[in-house]
Amino acid sequence: MSSRPLRSRLSRIGPNLVLLGALVFFTAPLVSTARQALQTVPMPLLNWNTLSDKWTLAGVRRIFDEENFWPTLRVSLELAAATVVITLALLVPTALFVHLRLPKARALVEFLTVLPYVVPPVALAAGVAAFYRANARWFFTSTYALVPFYVVMALPFTYRAIDAGIKAIDVRTLVDASRSLGAGWVTTLRRAVLPNMASSLISASFLTATVVLGEFTIAVTLAKQTFPTFAFEFFGRDFQGGVALALLTLVMTTVLLGILTILTRPKAVRAARKTDRLAKA
Amino acid sequence: MSNLAFNSIRKTFGPTVALQGLDLDVRDGELISLLGPSGCGKTTALRIAAGFEAADSGSVVVADENISNLPAHKRNMGMVFQSYSLFPNLDVASNVEYGLRTRKVDKTERRKRVADILELVELTDQAIKYPHQLSGGQQQRVALARALAIQPSVLLLDEPLSALDAKVRSSLRDEIRRIQTELGITTLFVTHDQEEALGISDRIGVMSQGSLEQLGTPAEIYGDPANAFVARFIGSMNEIPATVVDARAVRVLEVVVPTTRSHDFAAGERINLLVRPEDTSIVAEGDSGLSGTVVSQTFQGSSTDVGVRLAVLDVLISVHVVGSTEGVLRAGDQVTVAVDGARAVFEPAS
Repeated sequence: MSSRPLRSRLSRIGPNLVLLGALVFFTAPLVSTARQALQTVPMPLLNWNTLSDKWTLAGVRRIFDEENFWPTLRVSLELAAATVVITLALLVPTALFVHLRLPKARALVEFLTVLPYVVPPVALAAGVAAFYRANARWFFTSTYALVPFYVVMALPFTYRAIDAGIKAIDVRTLVDASRSLGAGWVTTLRRAVLPNMASSLISASFLTATVVLGEFTIAVTLAKQTFPTFAFEFFGRDFQGGVALALLTLVMTTVLLGILTILTRPKAVRAARKTDRLAKA
Repeated sequence: MSNLAFNSIRKTFGPTVALQGLDLDVRDGELISLLGPSGCGKTTALRIAAGFEAADSGSVVVADENISNLPAHKRNMGMVFQSYSLFPNLDVASNVEYGLRTRKVDKTERRKRVADILELVELTDQAIKYPHQLSGGQQQRVALARALAIQPSVLLLDEPLSALDAKVRSSLRDEIRRIQTELGITTLFVTHDQEEALGISDRIGVMSQGSLEQLGTPAEIYGDPANAFVARFIGSMNEIPATVVDARAVRVLEVVVPTTRSHDFAAGERINLLVRPEDTSIVAEGDSGLSGTVVSQTFQGSSTDVGVRLAVLDVLISVHVVGSTEGVLRAGDQVTVAVDGARAVFEPAS
C-alpha cells in the first residue's frame, strides 16, 4: 500500500533535479553578474564574512555619466524601430502570401530565411559594404546603413514567429470569411488577420529589437557607433561599470518583456475575463 | 432573393479534374444539397460560387447576372464554413456586425439588424461573449447569423455541421432549415452526410468525380436512384447476383423477379441487382422467394434489420422488418425472402 506513494515521490525526484539544475544554470551567471556590478569585494576575498560588504551603485552611476551612453542608446533604439518596421512590412505579406497562395513554397521560404545563420556577419558586412561603397556611398555613410543588415540578421527569428502566428489562426478560413462578408484585402488584413496575430507580431518585433540591440560585429565592421559598440568600449575602460551596464540592460529587457507579455494578451482573452468576472458578480 | 446557376463549370487542379462541366440551377428560395464523397468536387463548386476559386471555363450566374469575374467580396454571398470561422478578436455582436460595417451600413441600422438576427438564431444573451466562450453549436449559429446579417443573394453552407456532435448537429440542421424557409433564401448546402442532405433539402445533387450523377428531391434520390453509384451512396443497398430474363424481369436462382426500370442489358446477361432492405421481406414458408438463414437481428425501435445469408448464392443481405422480431426469429432460422424489384437498380456483374 505504501510503496505506491513512495514510488510516486521517487518518480518526481528526477524531473525536480532537472528543474533545479536548469535554475542554477540560468541564475548563477546572473547572480554573479549582479555581484560583480554592485559589490567591490575582489573575488579572492569573497567569503561568508565579506558577503555583505561594499555593495554600491557607483558602477551604475558611472554609466549615466558617460557622454556616449544616451546617444548610442538612442541610435540603437532608432535602428531597432526602423528594422522592426521594415521587417514586418516585408515578412508579414510574404508569409501570408506563401500560406494562402503558394503553400508548396513554404519549405523553400523557410530555408531561405535560415540562410543568414550560415553567413558569418563579418562576411555579410564586408561583402555588402563593397557594393554600398561603389554604388551608394551616401547611404553607406549613414548609421541607418545598418538597417538592411539587421533585417537580414533578424530573418530566421522573425519569419518563424510570424509563421507560427499564421499557423495558429487558420488564416485561410478567416480571410475567406472576411472576403465573403464584403471586405477587401486591406480591411481583411486590418480587421480579421493582423489583430489575431498580435502576439506573434509583437514577439517578432521583440526578437528583431533584441537582435539589433545586441549586434556588435556588423556595427564594428562598418565603423558605426551603436549601443553594443559603446558597451564594449566602456567595458574595456571600466570593468565594474561594464558589468553594471550588462546587468542594467538585462533588467530593462526583462521588464520590457514582462510589459509586452501583459500587453499582448489577446484582447478577447482580457475582455472574456472581464465578462466572466461580471457574470460571477 | 435570386437563383444561382452553374453553367458548364470546369475546374482542374493540375492533373486532377475537380469539376467536369457542372450544370446546376438552384431556384429562387430553394435549398439544394450537394452530396458526395470526399474529392467529388462539391466544395470546389461552392468555392467557385463564392469567388474563392476561379473556374477554368463556364459561368456562375446569380439573378441573371454573370458574376464569374466578380471578386469574392463583391458577390454578396453569405457563407458558413466547416471550421469555426468566427473572428477570435471580436465578440459575437461585432462578428455579426462585420459584414454590415464593410458595407458602411449606418450605426443605428447595424445595431437593429444585429439584434434582429441574433434573436433569429436565439443568441441575444450571448452578444458580448467571445468565440472561445461559446460551444461549437453556438459558434456555428453565430457564423450563420453573420452570414445572414448582410442579407445575401445566396447562402453557401460548406459542411457547417460536420464538426459538431450528433445531437447538436441534428438540432442545428433543423434550425438552419427553419431559418432558410423563414427567410426564403436561396441556399447551396455541401455535405457528405446523406442523412443531413435527406433531412434538409428541397433537392439533392449527388456528385461523383466532378460530375452531377443525379439531381432530384430526397424522395426521388432515395426511391429512384439514377444509377448504382447513387443507389449505393444514399441509404443501404443489398446486392444480389441475377440474370436478365427480359426487359421486365430478372431471375435470381430459380426465382423470377419482375422489374420496372428500363435497362440496356440483353436477356441472359449476368447482373447485380441492387435492392433496398425495405424492398425485401420475409414471407411464409412455401411462398415464392429465396431461401436463407438468419444471421443477425438489429432492433432499431420502429423496425428491425434482419441479416439473412442467402442459400447457394452465399450473399448476406439486410431485410427490413417493421416492429420487433423478438421471439419470432432467431439466429440460425431458415427463412424465405421475397424481393420486390420495382425500384431495383441494375449494374453489370463484376
